[in-house]
Amino acid sequence: MLRRKRWLFAMLAILPTLAIFAWLRMFPIVETLRLSLHKWDILSKNKPFIGLANFQELMGDRLFHEALLNTTIIAFGVLAITIPTAMVLAALIHYRTRSRASGFYETAIFLPHVVSLVPAAMAWKWIFDARLGPLNALLSFFGIQPQAWLFDPTLSIISVIVLCSWQALGYAVLIYLVGFKSLPVSLYEAAKLDGASGTQSFWFLSIPMLKPITLYVSVVTLVSGFNVYAQAFVLASDAQGAPGRQVRVLVLDMLENSFRNYRVGYAASEAVVLLLIVLVLTLIQFSLLRERGRA
Amino acid sequence: MNSVFEPSRGARLKTLRVALLGGAALAMAGAASAQEIRVWSGYPELAPFYEHVAEGMKAEYPDLSVRVEAIALREHEKRLALGLTSGEAAEVIELGTSTATRYLENELFNVAPDDVAAFVQDPANFNDFFRDSASYEGTVYGLPLFRGQSALYYNTEMFEAAGLTEPPADMADYTSYAEQLTQRDAAGAPTVSGWSLRLSGGGQGIAEKFWINMFQYGENLVEQNEAGLWRADFANEQGRAALKQYLENVHTLKTVTVEMPADAEAFEREQTAMFIRESWVIGDIAAKAPDLSYATATLPRGSIVAPVSLWISGEGEKADAAWAFAQAANDPENLLWLLDNVGWLPNRSGLDYSAILEAKPALAAFVDYPDTYEFFSLPNIGPVEEILTRTAARLTEAFANPALAADDAAIDAVLVGMQDEINGLLQREGLLAE
Repeated sequence: MLRRKRWLFAMLAILPTLAIFAWLRMFPIVETLRLSLHKWDILSKNKPFIGLANFQELMGDRLFHEALLNTTIIAFGVLAITIPTAMVLAALIHYRTRSRASGFYETAIFLPHVVSLVPAAMAWKWIFDARLGPLNALLSFFGIQPQAWLFDPTLSIISVIVLCSWQALGYAVLIYLVGFKSLPVSLYEAAKLDGASGTQSFWFLSIPMLKPITLYVSVVTLVSGFNVYAQAFVLASDAQGAPGRQVRVLVLDMLENSFRNYRVGYAASEAVVLLLIVLVLTLIQFSLLRERGRA
Repeated sequence: MNSVFEPSRGARLKTLRVALLGGAALAMAGAASAQEIRVWSGYPELAPFYEHVAEGMKAEYPDLSVRVEAIALREHEKRLALGLTSGEAAEVIELGTSTATRYLENELFNVAPDDVAAFVQDPANFNDFFRDSASYEGTVYGLPLFRGQSALYYNTEMFEAAGLTEPPADMADYTSYAEQLTQRDAAGAPTVSGWSLRLSGGGQGIAEKFWINMFQYGENLVEQNEAGLWRADFANEQGRAALKQYLENVHTLKTVTVEMPADAEAFEREQTAMFIRESWVIGDIAAKAPDLSYATATLPRGSIVAPVSLWISGEGEKADAAWAFAQAANDPENLLWLLDNVGWLPNRSGLDYSAILEAKPALAAFVDYPDTYEFFSLPNIGPVEEILTRTAARLTEAFANPALAADDAAIDAVLVGMQDEINGLLQREGLLAE
């Protein structure tokens, strides 16, 4: 009886949170799934059911394929930069700085993560500017010709990856720092007694023991990478002379299909595909986590 | 003792109550008569114009306040899609006809009152083209305001240095001029482009600029038949000539590259010698590069005309005030102010541009053109933006492919692909002419 009362109390206590979660998170997902099966131009009241026709059209849509490829390159590019850099930076802060200085480094590295996307992208737009930007000025000291970072099709996507990595790094370093602080000191002392160097300890102890942290950071980074929009848009899209198509990303493609081409159902089908990609990648990473747990 | 002329305490309280009630009533009446309308524009440079119009209305409408919200065109279009469908849009909406058609089809703009309709239908105010651009199925919905129209801008100092005395007369001239005007470094790489072609960018503009060039060869991206349906049919000699000219300039002659600074900004910084653009650039040059030596010229055959009108949403007094604002914007004094200060061309007939042309001769190419000059517009059909965006994607891919430059068969294949994709979109929307 007491157990039942407790259960009821617990359910009542979490009900408001559950209701908000259902309304703000689950309902839009269900509605997107529903819309993806309809043809709707946002202006008319009619939404005829067309089954999987939107998905069939996506299969042959060149712009969607480009956007998917660009988004994938950006997401995995950010992942490839963020994970090793964050791990090394966290290790340096944890092992090589005094406790007072570490607070400063942690704040400095975490700061980009809390800066609003658009102002940050605007600042980087200036950094990448071919004529006035400090990046080209810096490169000129090494005899490197000015690069058209935001105009050249290849460089523009690299610029977006650099900006996204800069923003993702702070959070990843923070999580790795927590990881480093939780590692058992006794293992390192034993390794030291066995003659292991600092690099060997890092390689053979820290990296394997930080695997759950690495998997968690990679899930978060990859998911945010697939949702990239503002960085690509502000840096290199929709401006005169900018190579918009080369940095066309999935969210931008959805936005265009919804509000410029007035094809909300079609855009919803793109959102469903994005959801599935992120879901599959997350499940793969979680299954790796589970394997680690069993091992 | 109280005098008979002195009010009693009760009378004084009564007077105070009446005064307070009266004051409150007056305040409420004032609040009721104050009216605010919003203007949504897709051209930030037009904000001062709308503010100028509002300022001019103060004498006649002292209680009217006008809030101008001018943002970039693509964002403006997205804002409209959400605002009009949710009933939260501004009362005065500036929009090109090709985009407005979707909203007209769904009855999301107000029908013009009789006096406004009569004003728009009066041939002394607007010719048929602009009247139709503000109408749907014969009913007037909007007030024509300004138009985008293109001409050639060229740097006169660079022309002089290259020994060129006249602007290019035909499309062959454009290429040979570009060759002569291109400035190169020691390795032969262009440092100043001879002719800034729109090779990259957000999308729609690339296809629009290509259409303008192809039009000079006598071909259109889409054409309407007598039944009102549309078809793309440019995979021919004219289409090939237009695309080949781009490829020749980019890959064979290297008068311009994809990576080079482009468009108005490049012209203002003297990083290109020639480019084709609308009249707003004159105002932009005046603000950003006032010492630039340049002139304008009409295009060989004709130009695109993109008419923009003011449309009204809302009800009651707000809608009335919005119509009054739209009419005030069409006042000759305001339209001349628009041309003089912003550079966009007014649609209204019978305006005296002489004083402005004398001060700004560069505007002449936009208002004084040969009798044989032809115009074309973006079609007023639903998928027009998608057609342009998808065509632009194919074009940018082609521009980046050097193998195409000397291969007519490959160019034809690109054109056929573009054409088929456009016709596919038209078919999807039930607009394809068989």
